Amino acid sequence: MKTIGNLHPITTYLREAIATLSSLGFEVYEGPELDSEWYNFDALNIPSDHPARDMQDTFWTKDNKVLRTQTSNCQVRYGKKNKPPFAIVVPGVIYRNEATDKGHENTFFQLEGLYVDKNVNLGHLKYTLETYFKKMFGPEIPVRFRPSFFPFVEPGLEVDVKFNGKWFELLGAGMTHPKVLKNMGIDPEKYSGFAFGMGIERQIMVKHGISDIRSFRSGDLRFLKQF
Amino acid sequence: MKVLRGWLQDYVDIKLDNKSLSLKLADLGIEVDGYSSTIDHKIVVGKILKISKHQNADKLKIAIVSDNTGKYNVVCGASNIKVGQVVPFAKVGAKIGDIEITKTKIRGTESEGMICSELELGIGQDHTGIKILPDNYKLGTPLYEYLKSDSVFDLNVTPNRGDVLSHIGVAREISAIQGEKLNKVPTKVEMVPKLTSDIVTVTNNEPKLCKRYFARVIENIVVKESPNWLKKRLIACGATPINNIVDVTNYILLDLGHPLHAFDAKHVNGSIVIRRAQNNEEFVTLDEKVRSLDKDMLVIANADKPIAVAGVMGGKDSEVKDTTKTVILEAAEFDRRSIRKTSKDLSLQTEASYRFERGIDSSGIEQALNKAANLIKKIANGQILSGIVKSGDNPDTVLFKFKYDDIRRLTGLTVLDDEINQILNLLGFKVSNHEVSVPSWRHDITIWQDLAEEVARIVGYDKIKPVKLKFKKKVKSNLEFSFREMVKDSLVSEGFVETKNYSFLSDNDLSDSTLNKSELIEIKNPVQIENKYMRSNIETNLLKTMSKNSSFDPILIFEIGNVFTSDIEHANLAIASAGKGADKAIEFAVDSLKDSLKIGSLNLEARELSRNDLKKYKIKKQNGFILEIEMRKLEKASLLKSSEIYYKKPKPIINFREVSKYPSVTRDLAFIIDKKHNADQTINDIYSVSNQINRVELFDEFINDKIGKGKKNVAFHLYLQDLKKTMVDKEADKIVKDVIKLIENKNMARLRTF
Repeated sequence: MKTIGNLHPITTYLREAIATLSSLGFEVYEGPELDSEWYNFDALNIPSDHPARDMQDTFWTKDNKVLRTQTSNCQVRYGKKNKPPFAIVVPGVIYRNEATDKGHENTFFQLEGLYVDKNVNLGHLKYTLETYFKKMFGPEIPVRFRPSFFPFVEPGLEVDVKFNGKWFELLGAGMTHPKVLKNMGIDPEKYSGFAFGMGIERQIMVKHGISDIRSFRSGDLRFLKQF
Repeated sequence: MKVLRGWLQDYVDIKLDNKSLSLKLADLGIEVDGYSSTIDHKIVVGKILKISKHQNADKLKIAIVSDNTGKYNVVCGASNIKVGQVVPFAKVGAKIGDIEITKTKIRGTESEGMICSELELGIGQDHTGIKILPDNYKLGTPLYEYLKSDSVFDLNVTPNRGDVLSHIGVAREISAIQGEKLNKVPTKVEMVPKLTSDIVTVTNNEPKLCKRYFARVIENIVVKESPNWLKKRLIACGATPINNIVDVTNYILLDLGHPLHAFDAKHVNGSIVIRRAQNNEEFVTLDEKVRSLDKDMLVIANADKPIAVAGVMGGKDSEVKDTTKTVILEAAEFDRRSIRKTSKDLSLQTEASYRFERGIDSSGIEQALNKAANLIKKIANGQILSGIVKSGDNPDTVLFKFKYDDIRRLTGLTVLDDEINQILNLLGFKVSNHEVSVPSWRHDITIWQDLAEEVARIVGYDKIKPVKLKFKKKVKSNLEFSFREMVKDSLVSEGFVETKNYSFLSDNDLSDSTLNKSELIEIKNPVQIENKYMRSNIETNLLKTMSKNSSFDPILIFEIGNVFTSDIEHANLAIASAGKGADKAIEFAVDSLKDSLKIGSLNLEARELSRNDLKKYKIKKQNGFILEIEMRKLEKASLLKSSEIYYKKPKPIINFREVSKYPSVTRDLAFIIDKKHNADQTINDIYSVSNQINRVELFDEFINDKIGKGKKNVAFHLYLQDLKKTMVDKEADKIVKDVIKLIENKNMARLRTF
């Protein structure tokens, strides 16, 4: 008898996440992991002389390229080449230059969402994320917005989800900053948009009670074969 | 950043309890990492049961204190202790200020805690004896439940909100949600006739880097320890008291968010010059380190040499000492970018540079200077000279136009014009005729979208109603993505497990592989040595993964991921197999891949690992195979039509069990069971026996009349583990016995002996 193998839990989770967002009109787009400083930072309203640069520890290569710290590096890449309205999801690996432990990883997956159209508002963002979490975590799942700061959105917010009686901070989101729209060549007086970026490992960990984020890249078949 | 509730109360009458306050702050966008009482929870109500003399010390006594659960020996020096008193008792582990109470021997007698005075509790000035509590306090109760203690909130402030890095800033936010104005007391300065300008002049050579520089002089000061109320506030917020003058500057920093600096006037020598440093100019900072400066760095200097790195740190020479008689007090605003660069270049981040980088209240400089001068006058008996020596003045107000409709459109909130005006007014904005003037402390507000956020966070993000997307567009599938997923499905159907490995290589990895260091992309600043190079193949890490799984036989794994060479980043596929039937397994996998992808002509052949490879990568198997190929070559060779490129729907995940870091035990079990029986049900039954069954895997299932009519054989691998220790055979045997019992009883099954 032939034993069936296993997809990586990230693959399985992403397939479901993408299917959910596709049903709302989002298309898959992908971009490079090793990118220019401009796409990863400057284009997203994070100039080098701003303290916001310190929010993420960054890997720099010897020729001054950046291992993307967020899938948001694809926002302006896509926006420059496409006319609104559009809606994309960007799955991909991102990097943070940190020491790793149970709760910290230097390599992980993010799923980015970007939607640009006329008259997009925070209510559309709430609808999209509520729909998403209801599908991924169950129909009764409470979702909460809290004001926060990410330079490429304004207003910016954190999204918490209540699961098994506990609130979990699961992603950052907000309304696309007019400077970012301008960098895409889109007129921010005519169009608005929202964006979100969520860590995939964290969601899987919350959902299945996995305590060590390094499990995903451990290569340990005792872990991988459970999925 | 830490703030004290009692200090916030100077500015606003807080109506919320600690828990509600921390939730409210989070709703405003200020995350609260935690809050605690300034009286440690291990300080409890105790009762003195007995007092005896200390044999080796006349002034000490030994008290036996009860907290209702235990009795403790406490060596105590206070003269006012008596048997029967109810007292504050700090148990071992309690913190008093920064000091932790430990079990210790005092003059040869063991002491298990401390009886505290008012001062030690931080609730008063009295240090002459212990604090005596009312008799009706319940023994063992944490003291903070009875005494009015202060609370410290630990806040996590986002980098755009420099304005909340102070007590007045946090209070301003609280007052806005309470719908009140901030409680500010105007500062009046009493000065002696002598002029500040007689003592010091200010020359600003860099008005772009230093927009404003104000200085005052205070003479005839007495440098000494600060009063307790001031020290207590500083300590509670994490600052270390030094002397009354330095403490005042730190106090104002925490109070108003404005960094100040005090110079010993003797070392200023009559003139302050704001200039760029010279290249390689050396300077000893307060922390006694020699810093080499450059011309991009701004310094405060006297006529000859620097006395401070502007906005970052003062100099050793000009610091305030016990002998200082006259201080020059500086309050300034420096260019945010310049401070950030200097602080980065010197690797020196201070409370001052942190705030200057994020922006201070540009119009609040004089107020900060005056408040500090008054405080120094009060606690160091100084005399404030007349006038402020200045360069620059308060900035012009920032104004811009906005439309109420835009705010409503972006937030989706139904708020009236008047409500918007009211919210903005509470936050310190002034609105008239569709134009807003931005308060001098809000450097983060420059466009109308920023106003929309202000309105939304005060109204509350919970008021935002979900709105269905009106977006209608047929979703095109991403063929490159789908093709990759299809490859995964094909390999999984052949028994291979998808892994994800790191994209990095270390020097160690390179010594094992044939890769050439010079062709790899190197990371400039890795925190961990494992992250020094970007991988140019998957193979190296995939083989390492093999070695970690020697308890599996065969090992069948693959990965699709990006690899990096000089200027190109592209996706590769790597497949590896080792152990029992590894050759056939990889051959079938490749065939199935060719089949499902309709690969026309492409040479896809796995390479057999040499003895040497197996040894090098510590793969403890007889044989091994590896294949690595660029995904774009597979795509190119595939004859699939785009409509044929799709992947499977995800299956629901069941039964995740944490993997133990200790060795596990593997057991195989086979049952003879009714042939209609579903093996998945048996798997679930087996899981239900014990949490220590990490995994159950069906590895054999066949029907054969030889084993009984209408019967089939099902066989499982069981992986048994203990999360806290190594799994031992004896325990494994017990679990296996339970499994057999359950399956036999429940399914009329029979264990098959091999």
